[in-house]
Amino acid sequence: MMRLIARRLAQIPLILLAIYTVTFLLAWALPGSAVLNDEGRQPPQAVLEAMEAQYNLRSPGTFFVDYLYHASGVKWATESLKGDAGRPSRYIFDLGPSFRYEDWSVNELIGASLPVSVALGALAVTFALAIGLTAGIIGALRPGSLIDTATLGLALIGISLPAFVVGTILLITFPVWLGIGRIGAWGGPGDAILPALTLSLPMAAYIARLTRMGMIEVMTSDYVRTARAKGLPARTVVLKHALKNAFLPVLSYLGPASAAALTGSFVVEKVFNVPGLGRHFVDAVRNKDLFVIMGVTLAFSTILVLLNLLVDVLYAWVDPRIEQE
Amino acid sequence: MRWLPILALLAAGALLFAATATNPAGPRPDLTILQPVDVNTLDPQRMSWTHDFRIAYAIYEGLCRWESHSPNFPVVPAAARTWEISPNGLTYTFHLDERARWSNGEPVRAQDFIYSWKRALMPETAADYTKLFFLIAGAEDFFGWRTEQLERYTARPAGEKSAESAAALRREADAHFATSVGLAAPDDRTLRIDLVRPTPYFLDLMAFGAFLPVHPPTVEAWVDVDAQTGAIRQAHGWTKPPHIVTSGPLTIDRWVFKRELDLRPNPHYRDPSLIKSGRIRTLIVEDQNTSVLAYESGAADWHADVQVDYIGDMLAQQRAGEREDLHDFTAFGTYFWSFNCKEHLADGRRNPFADRRVRRAFSLAVNKQELVERVRRSGERVADSLIPRGSIPGFEPARGLPFDPQRARAELQDAGLADRDNDGFLINQARRRFPTVEILYTPVGPHRDLAIAIAAMWERELGVRTRLAVRETKVFRNSVKTQDYMVARGSWFGDYLDPTTFLDIHRTGDGNNDRAVSDPHYDELLARAERESDPDSRMRILEEAARYADEDLVPVLPIFHYNQYYLFKPPADAQGSPNPGGLRGISTHPRLVQYLYELEVVRVPDEEP
Repeated sequence: MMRLIARRLAQIPLILLAIYTVTFLLAWALPGSAVLNDEGRQPPQAVLEAMEAQYNLRSPGTFFVDYLYHASGVKWATESLKGDAGRPSRYIFDLGPSFRYEDWSVNELIGASLPVSVALGALAVTFALAIGLTAGIIGALRPGSLIDTATLGLALIGISLPAFVVGTILLITFPVWLGIGRIGAWGGPGDAILPALTLSLPMAAYIARLTRMGMIEVMTSDYVRTARAKGLPARTVVLKHALKNAFLPVLSYLGPASAAALTGSFVVEKVFNVPGLGRHFVDAVRNKDLFVIMGVTLAFSTILVLLNLLVDVLYAWVDPRIEQE
Repeated sequence: MRWLPILALLAAGALLFAATATNPAGPRPDLTILQPVDVNTLDPQRMSWTHDFRIAYAIYEGLCRWESHSPNFPVVPAAARTWEISPNGLTYTFHLDERARWSNGEPVRAQDFIYSWKRALMPETAADYTKLFFLIAGAEDFFGWRTEQLERYTARPAGEKSAESAAALRREADAHFATSVGLAAPDDRTLRIDLVRPTPYFLDLMAFGAFLPVHPPTVEAWVDVDAQTGAIRQAHGWTKPPHIVTSGPLTIDRWVFKRELDLRPNPHYRDPSLIKSGRIRTLIVEDQNTSVLAYESGAADWHADVQVDYIGDMLAQQRAGEREDLHDFTAFGTYFWSFNCKEHLADGRRNPFADRRVRRAFSLAVNKQELVERVRRSGERVADSLIPRGSIPGFEPARGLPFDPQRARAELQDAGLADRDNDGFLINQARRRFPTVEILYTPVGPHRDLAIAIAAMWERELGVRTRLAVRETKVFRNSVKTQDYMVARGSWFGDYLDPTTFLDIHRTGDGNNDRAVSDPHYDELLARAERESDPDSRMRILEEAARYADEDLVPVLPIFHYNQYYLFKPPADAQGSPNPGGLRGISTHPRLVQYLYELEVVRVPDEEP
């Protein structure tokens, strides 16, 4: 187990460097100027040139190396070692300023929004697991029954309906009609439930189908029949013996699903006005806000890589055969 | 036991959620505002957006302010109590109110204004409004001098660059500024400004956001001089509480980016009686639909920028008397389409729109009334002229070009273009077809619908072929800046109460002249207006320049003047208003400057707070 973790950890810097390079190439290839205002008044030419010089916007090579130097923490490390005079770096991993939101650094943007995305994602995955597993198990125990058909139908709707439709329906139903909860706020009790629910529905549907399939297969297997034959209560058989095996496909889905809960939340964030990371992705590309693009992508990739590692470890823990392979 | 991981996940999510709460529930502030975008910056020298200025006017105090509820939008004293203007109109002397205080209790000094304006004249500050400061004597030369000084420093060999030499460079620039720019503070409460020419609207500028002062020690604490380039590098931590120090009626209490901006009274403000609302909360809800729902659910007293697709339906409800909380006001801006005026297109072809007769013809062929009423359908006013009628006192905009297809075809005939072979298409004397007109716009907004309608009008009335081209904003901006287009959508908002705030964009070589129009007669008219010392005669010259641009030169085809849509319950004492409570104090002048502290929510006792 430790070997697996160590090997994967060692790969992380390489993976991140590759992601950084690709992101840099893509961001650099974005058309348009990063310093021109989109609308209205433009600053004098001398000002534009000064900004381009300040941020190395004319020399991709310098930009690439300089940003890496700041973002990777190397600058901070060398300064700390030398005990350099002058103002110390404010961050270990300095991800730069935002062009568009001039008063904020990328570190501040991520610091404020990443925990929100993680919280929303965690809640959504929880909801998805609770709803999906329950529906899947119930369906698998009585395949073809009314309740099975109903959950399958609901699952289909959950997968098919886009988030902005579900979100808007929930918003109109609860805060507007029933007066339950607030709109566009984040922080009061209950503000997270509707967005997390919206985000969780497609996942829950998928989990329900995975669980149902797994359970139906497992329930007919020999060891489950044995467990039943020796007189174990149905509850124990289902939850302890059958679910453990039926859960494996769900677990391998959870890695990418958690990732999707973080990335795919852009629409949900927009509809519910959740202050998460997703919007920075989209806005940054639209604004050609280079430092935000690079910074957000790097921070996000780091989390994804770590999440994937976590899933692999869990997998090895649930099914020890994996580690040997 | 099996559910333990799920429970743990739930607990972790709930904890994180609690830790990231950005809109905690609590007592309602005096006034809650909804707007779709957060401010870009709280640094007044770097601002250019209306919603940035709205906050700036609440937290900083300029020398003057506007009487925003008077139709003529007059300038009245603010941080300056009195002022004198020299008889030749070139020197302004302001006397600061001795009660003017920063929010940390320090007095507001004349030197603070000089410091702030010097920032706007440093190229590395990247101020959008640098050009407005060029009215101050010596300012334009200083800007050029500083740009060169930095270039010379950057070109030095590495051995000659150091933190010390960069600091020396800054001292040199400060000294040069002090001797060469017409700004002086004989004492802490007197500010003398020398101008390059008499400027009738200079007092109006003294109330404008770019001229608001910042607190020098606070800003200085976040300033570094870059040893490599010699440029002043400003970090912006000072704009956030608890660091920010302000001089206006209010100050910043809390700023959670893209969520919430809370204001509270400045305890040292010179005249607390001006403050009607002290605790003000701005909620940022980016999704337009969600923000209207949030307003409907009672989350805010005022929705300051409604831009939903169904605004036309909301207006219909309002007109039918079913929605008294929607308000539409004409803003100080115009939506238009630009004609590329260069001789040749970016691909080297001859540009048909270089000929002003062609531009006139294409303008005459557009039925703006129909565009506004049947395509746009948001209740805007048709624009005859670039400058909204009635927005600038003493200025009468031109009548512009009417919808007159016959005259349009005559203009084309005059330019040697006609449908000579009766196949429905325009050809020139060499029997070459008129090139396909490419109409360029951006994907978001009303542009596509308008482009389709205008294209159809041109095809029908003039016999030309058209092609729609849509480009993303960044690409579009570049295309327009480099005149890589034939016809492109555009817009302009005025900044100060003078026609030049609009007319300057057609001046040869102006940084905002996206059309690259260059006409000696027009430039001469503007130059003459600059030299004219009598304000009335000057206005007549500017009217002539505006008429010339709108009816003869025609670099742009104005379509409508922008509307601003607000949602708020009208005040209790307004005629016919059935509301017991409501929002009072909204200014309806086209400049739509809202001093937040002047707004007041009237609540009735039984209404839930």
